[in-house]
Amino acid sequence: MAEEKFPINIWINEERYDKLRLAGLGDLPEEMLAGLKVLRVYANAAERDKILKVFPTAKFDSATTKSIELLPREVKDKMFDKVVEKKSVDMMSDFLAAY
Amino acid sequence: MAEIGHGKKEIVERIMEPAKAKEAIKGLPEVPIRSQIANEVIGITYGFFTPLEGFMSKADVDGVCKKMKLANGVVWSIPIVFDLTPEEIDKYGVKVGGKVLLTFNNNPMAIMEVEEIYDYDKKAMCQAVYGTDDPKHPGCARTNAYKDKFVAGKVTLVNRPKINAPYDPYFIPPLEMRKRFKEKGWERIVAHQTRNVPHTGHEWLMKGAWFQAYAELPIEKPLVGVLVNAIIGDKRKGDYIDEAIILTQDELRKSGYFGDHNHLTSLTFWDMRYAGPREAVFHAALRTNLGLTHHMYGRDHAGVGTYYGAYDAHHLLATVKDELDIVPVYSMNWLFCPHCGEITSEGLCDHKKEWQKFSGTVIRSIVQDGVKPPRLIYRPEVFDVMMECGEKYGFGSPFVTDEYLEKRIPVFEIPPMK
Repeated sequence: MAEEKFPINIWINEERYDKLRLAGLGDLPEEMLAGLKVLRVYANAAERDKILKVFPTAKFDSATTKSIELLPREVKDKMFDKVVEKKSVDMMSDFLAAY
Repeated sequence: MAEIGHGKKEIVERIMEPAKAKEAIKGLPEVPIRSQIANEVIGITYGFFTPLEGFMSKADVDGVCKKMKLANGVVWSIPIVFDLTPEEIDKYGVKVGGKVLLTFNNNPMAIMEVEEIYDYDKKAMCQAVYGTDDPKHPGCARTNAYKDKFVAGKVTLVNRPKINAPYDPYFIPPLEMRKRFKEKGWERIVAHQTRNVPHTGHEWLMKGAWFQAYAELPIEKPLVGVLVNAIIGDKRKGDYIDEAIILTQDELRKSGYFGDHNHLTSLTFWDMRYAGPREAVFHAALRTNLGLTHHMYGRDHAGVGTYYGAYDAHHLLATVKDELDIVPVYSMNWLFCPHCGEITSEGLCDHKKEWQKFSGTVIRSIVQDGVKPPRLIYRPEVFDVMMECGEKYGFGSPFVTDEYLEKRIPVFEIPPMK
């Protein structure tokens, strides 16, 4: 059975979109919720638990979306920077290694 | 004509005239109370908690815990208790058969006729009400923090609270609320319980419930309204600030997504227990007293974490439906379907693989990321009012911060007695 993955939504504002375009990653975001651009980075169960422990304001939306929400904006900025650096949304283990 | 509330009991405001009150409080021992108890004094004395006339006796608490009924047999699901330490009881001179003056912020608020002082097993209370004694459950944490003695007795308000702006137009007690409904000509009113700034999923919950409540009624003139009843009480960091909740809910009416003919926003002072099914039954009693005929219940109503099943509240309500005077309206989730290009119900749309679900938490994340959600998801007028509230009341944020908790405008104050 495939390992369950839990998304973190990095919503793309203009500033983030400009950075993506400059890095040649303008096509990386998905479109969701009637036109919002989002980068979805994924955590496995162990990574999810670590995120919830390290960032206590974060919440796992177990009821509706099964996503990890309410991470502080500066944390999401760091995740975003990691995506740009790696040119990939597959960055969670690298990101969490610093914590 | 008498207004009849929950348990088929008359709604009576237990509020003393100012001239009489001034005399009545003379010489009474003063007992300071915290905000939760002040909220509940308002709940009791204005009739929000009918048939309660005061803080519960041991027999009431026992009945509520074991049978979900007061000692008089009326369905009631959450203990409403006044706790003191033994030392406070001695210090303030609280005695059975005596009266005390409850003070809030050092000003007289209510007279309590002390009828009983008792102990109760808090762990058993937790297990009965919350279905768990896990101290991490916020309701259990509240119960565990109660002091060791409970004081029962009738309370009478001697000094009306001053509701501060911007909340003042939204404090509409049961007797006044029922007058408003009559003026509007509404025959059915459905309650929307909230602690949120509304996204369009919430808006459609209300609209769906409005359709459900309308049912067979004639449609020539407006006969059905939605009452948004925001719960105002303890706040946690990261919640929406109260000002944003109440003003954005009303903005849905002001901006025409609803209208005066079918929508009214109000508030109730209550510290959420997150009791899930039991809180749903409490909400039924509360909204019956406010004059509502229908009550919307969605998924995991008033729940927290994973303590309750998605529809446990619906199941518990079904067990007492014959004893309630309000009709539950069960709501399915609303979501965005890109195929339909609209907000739709999971009970209607079959593009399951394309569904994009969203929640209040997801919307908060979007806003925190500095992104304005599209109007299909979040009304621009609601967004603007929310951000304005952040600037005006929230020290720069529409979400509760330490600074907000420390410096916020109190929702109400008890003024000095003249």
